[in-house]
Amino acid sequence: MKVNLHIIGRNKIALVIMLVLVFVSACGRVGATQPAPAAPTQGQSVSAEPRSERNGILRVAMQPIVQADPAFISSDSEVLVANHVYDYLVDIDPASKVIPRLAVDWQIENDGLTYVFTLAEGVQFHDGSPLTAQDVVWTFNRLRDPELELPTADLYSNIADIQATGELEVTFILNQPNPFFLYDLSDNHALVLKANTQDAATKFNGTGPFKVTSYSPEDRIILEANKDYYIQDLPKLEGVEILFFNDENAAVDALRSGQVDLVMRMSTALFTSLQDEPGIYTLDIPTNGFDLVRLRSDREPGDDPRVIQAFKLATDREAILQLVQQGYGAVGRDSPIGPMYTQYYSEETPIPERDVQAARQLLSEAGYPQGLDIVLHTPDTGGRPDLAVVLKEQWAEAGINVEVSVEPESVYYGEERWLEVDLGITGWGSRPYPQFYLDVMLKCEAVWNESHFCDPEFDELTTTAGTSLDEAQQAEAYQKIQQILIERGPVIIPYFFAQFAAISDKFQGFELKPFAGRTDFRLVNLQE
Amino acid sequence: MATHTGAAPSRGRRFVSQLRRLYAVPTAAFGTTVFVLFLALALLGPWIAPYGANQQDYQGARMAPSSLHWFGTDHLGRDVFSRVLLGAGEILWLSGGGTLLAVLCGTAIGLLSGYLGGWLDELIMRLFDSLLALPALLLALLMLGILGASAWSVLIVMVVVYTPIVARVVRSVVLSVKTRGFVEAARLQGESLGWILFREILPSVLPTLAVETAVRFSYGIFLVASLGFLGVGVQPPSPNWGLMVKEARQTISQTPWALYYPAGAISILVIGVNLMADGLKRIFQTRHD
Repeated sequence: MKVNLHIIGRNKIALVIMLVLVFVSACGRVGATQPAPAAPTQGQSVSAEPRSERNGILRVAMQPIVQADPAFISSDSEVLVANHVYDYLVDIDPASKVIPRLAVDWQIENDGLTYVFTLAEGVQFHDGSPLTAQDVVWTFNRLRDPELELPTADLYSNIADIQATGELEVTFILNQPNPFFLYDLSDNHALVLKANTQDAATKFNGTGPFKVTSYSPEDRIILEANKDYYIQDLPKLEGVEILFFNDENAAVDALRSGQVDLVMRMSTALFTSLQDEPGIYTLDIPTNGFDLVRLRSDREPGDDPRVIQAFKLATDREAILQLVQQGYGAVGRDSPIGPMYTQYYSEETPIPERDVQAARQLLSEAGYPQGLDIVLHTPDTGGRPDLAVVLKEQWAEAGINVEVSVEPESVYYGEERWLEVDLGITGWGSRPYPQFYLDVMLKCEAVWNESHFCDPEFDELTTTAGTSLDEAQQAEAYQKIQQILIERGPVIIPYFFAQFAAISDKFQGFELKPFAGRTDFRLVNLQE
Repeated sequence: MATHTGAAPSRGRRFVSQLRRLYAVPTAAFGTTVFVLFLALALLGPWIAPYGANQQDYQGARMAPSSLHWFGTDHLGRDVFSRVLLGAGEILWLSGGGTLLAVLCGTAIGLLSGYLGGWLDELIMRLFDSLLALPALLLALLMLGILGASAWSVLIVMVVVYTPIVARVVRSVVLSVKTRGFVEAARLQGESLGWILFREILPSVLPTLAVETAVRFSYGIFLVASLGFLGVGVQPPSPNWGLMVKEARQTISQTPWALYYPAGAISILVIGVNLMADGLKRIFQTRHD
């Protein structure tokens, strides 16, 4: 599947989960975007301006980077740096459609088994050498090489062959049709390197819109505009300075005092405190990331559908969104197919109204007339402890007596404990398409089937959605999946997280994306 | 030196006279008043708290202090005043209970070890030395990691952390007393071990023990709050003051009151108990001299 369980040791799974699920989304899917309030959208007017009108240096506060080799990056700051030094073959636009980047055009042939990409002309690496099809072939062969044990090896295990079929033409041949292959090609790691690069961790030789001029680990990385960038007029900035902050409070203070221009990682409270700050725009959008409240359904008490329903009926999702996320993000509907997946999300099946009495009644019928005592396990990160406390109060009204156990992530995810416990809260990062969640979390044989959910109809629909090349059929399968999860899924998804940003109003053209790492600074520039 | 208890006036009258002496020292009077006030609040808390400790109101979250919510509401819409009030009972119960248990164990072990001496004394004291070599908080974290976080674990941790300290203090007094004439006399009379320890030696230990108890108690409050703050002690949604500070720290820019009041309560109580301990020490030292 999309995860690389057989490559990494079992004992590293917890680490990978923390990295992959919680902090990181493998491909920052571009959701609804929102330009800064006073910033007019970058329209045609720009081309009327004379060329080389680059102005402004954007100073960005981010967490320090640890990895610089694109094959190993994972945090949002690492992806942010790589995303501007290198280019993807294809990118994803705000409406979550695949758009050209280095590949200007492509054809899908042979029933979805062959993809032929045409590369842009005149693309140069920062060292002056031209981009050729060989570079793309070498890049993806490296990413899928099982010997190198890269995180992407599993993702690309479906690729049978990659060939340079022309100076600027690359052909990918797949083993099985994969409706999401183009999204997979835009995975965070899939930045095109020069063929035979040996020292990607230190050399920064990309084709991207910015060149690295200096990098002081744990301090800052300074980028200047690549004047030979293959898209004319881009980037619009003279340069980008990424200043490393370990503490989000310090980063926000630096923004307030004008030492940095942009902050993208901060708590809801900090974000709220910036709302009335003069000279600063705040932006927020919902992402596809969510907290999953799940009940094990293969043993008591979760093996009784009435108990599952009682939990759902006792939950007030809107109140949770208001309390735990302060209203930012979006209300969940117990399915990982969130409102940002506009082509798949459906509100056709109503979520039953909160009904404490009905929940009590169901519990009583299920054999718990005196109520149900259960421990709720939660990692100590993000809003999860708060979520646990709010759930405890809501459920108590229905006779579900929860004992909250707040655990460090190393304990919660350690020794597969999170897959073992009856009732738990797990954070899942934003993904570019919903199939991932269904495949690794909810299918009967899924590697991380934490709720131990096993439903033949659901599995069949998931397989259909994951392999069908017929978009209508796919959408229909996703719609039914949402209905099943609302009706009998042992999961509650109360909300989807928000992604925040705060930027100095001196800049325009900034678009916020669900995964901060995939933010595109090419269009940002200083306001006249 | 402490007198033999046989001739002492009734216990009640002695307690009152000591209390009077405590109140003669202004700082001790202040400390004792604070402590008694908190104790009263803790006892009355469940009756006078205007809201439940965990009662959430999502429309009334993050409200500044007002006549409706004296200390404001926190990020989950819980009344901070009620939580501070109800948290008083919890923290006094845990730190008080833990201290008392530790004092009981420590006194028994200290008396026995000091009086009997020999290899048993050596063994116990070396064992305690090794325990004391670890900082209290580190030892507590270690134990909670094994026991799992809960109120009972915190109680056990306090006993383990403070018993060695109390035992050493008691033992040092026993060592200076056990060679004195009245102990020798009792031994020659053929009194039982229990009689000698508890009727002859213990009264001499009591003044030191009272001071030690008060000092341990103030450290205990701090320990319970610290463990709550570190998130390894009492679990949410308990209104533990340390835990409240931890939770409010995340939203300090929005709800500073949710942090200031529990933090203030911890400081005032700890200072109060410390001053009281100071006063006790002064009284007993003057009598000692």
